[in-house]
Amino acid sequence: MTGKRSDLKKIIMDTKTLPTLPSVIHKLNSLSDNDKSSVQEMAKLVSSDQVISARILRLANSPSYGFYRVSTISNAMILLGVNVVKSLALSSSIFAIMEKDIVGLWEHSLGVGAAANLIARKLGLPECEEIATAGLLHDIGKVIISIKCSDAEKEILKLVRERQIYTMEAEREIIDTDHAEVGGWLSKCWFLPDKLSEPIAFHHDVAASKNHRIKTAVVHIADVLISASGFSNSGESFVPPIQKIAWDTLKLDEQLLAELVDEVEDKLVEVKNFSLEMMGD
Amino acid sequence: MQKIPLMLAKAGMTLARDVFRGDSPVGMPLCGKGTELTDSLIARFENMDAKTVYVAGHPVSEEGERSIDDLLRELDFRFSKTLQEPLNALLYNIYKAYLTKWMGGRQ
Repeated sequence: MTGKRSDLKKIIMDTKTLPTLPSVIHKLNSLSDNDKSSVQEMAKLVSSDQVISARILRLANSPSYGFYRVSTISNAMILLGVNVVKSLALSSSIFAIMEKDIVGLWEHSLGVGAAANLIARKLGLPECEEIATAGLLHDIGKVIISIKCSDAEKEILKLVRERQIYTMEAEREIIDTDHAEVGGWLSKCWFLPDKLSEPIAFHHDVAASKNHRIKTAVVHIADVLISASGFSNSGESFVPPIQKIAWDTLKLDEQLLAELVDEVEDKLVEVKNFSLEMMGD
Repeated sequence: MQKIPLMLAKAGMTLARDVFRGDSPVGMPLCGKGTELTDSLIARFENMDAKTVYVAGHPVSEEGERSIDDLLRELDFRFSKTLQEPLNALLYNIYKAYLTKWMGGRQ
């Protein structure tokens, strides 16, 4: 491992906190104050935010809690209790400031999470919620790079603009790694289960995913669909190539893809409205 | 599917999503999707505090909205790196057909 890369790895292993959009927290607070709201409703709300989701999953999976591996927000909420989740959410409201490009990424992640869920349900796959969570978190590496190495991130964005290349290529050139690998490191040090860390680490290289290739393939296809729809400005201008292995793993065909595009676009109207609502608060 | 303010809803449009009292998903359901709107139905929604509805197709053009040409140009740009890949070309054609259908659905 070269110098730059191991330096970056050290920085990331040191990650203790991540910023987040605060309106989710307000909504969570008002939901938890309401006697009639259910854990499912709160879990649904929290699941729409990648950073809070990640933080709660990190806690639920930390050895100090000693629970089994948890990979869905609703399970984590039941294990941790609503009050812990609430205080967690409150403490994170300190990180109120979100930069514009992160908001784009947040929307993109929300879209990929929703699309992954749709694809998983359409194909009748087990553990849809885990797949959706993996979709939501798939670009968490970008968030870390942006927070921890903001100078490098600026260079990356500049390179992407100037040479019209993929973010991945620019990342490899400048920090000698990429957001998928960074996400992989992060999920390792957060003790996330393999079924989440593999799709995060290999959503650009499905063949490298050994144990959870189906989930990785779903996240990959969801990422491609959201890029193709031009849904949000995640800093990526071009649609990544669809990997044949993902296509074959999921046994997709033209008919199925056309139906998915229709359903995903329908869903995105809701996701967009939700995201505007969250930002408007 | 398009989300529009209730004041732009017209009789003859078809609901694409259920409508709830106060626009809240935990509110009282007022009307199911697939229903064709009538003037009296719209008045009832107004009384019940529903402010927005989802309607099928794309019946209302919004201010500052991109035209079909713009949308297709952007689509071309997004796919400009990967169009030679057969699977991406497939997806491109599906999206192109989708956009054309969607914008063509305007009344």
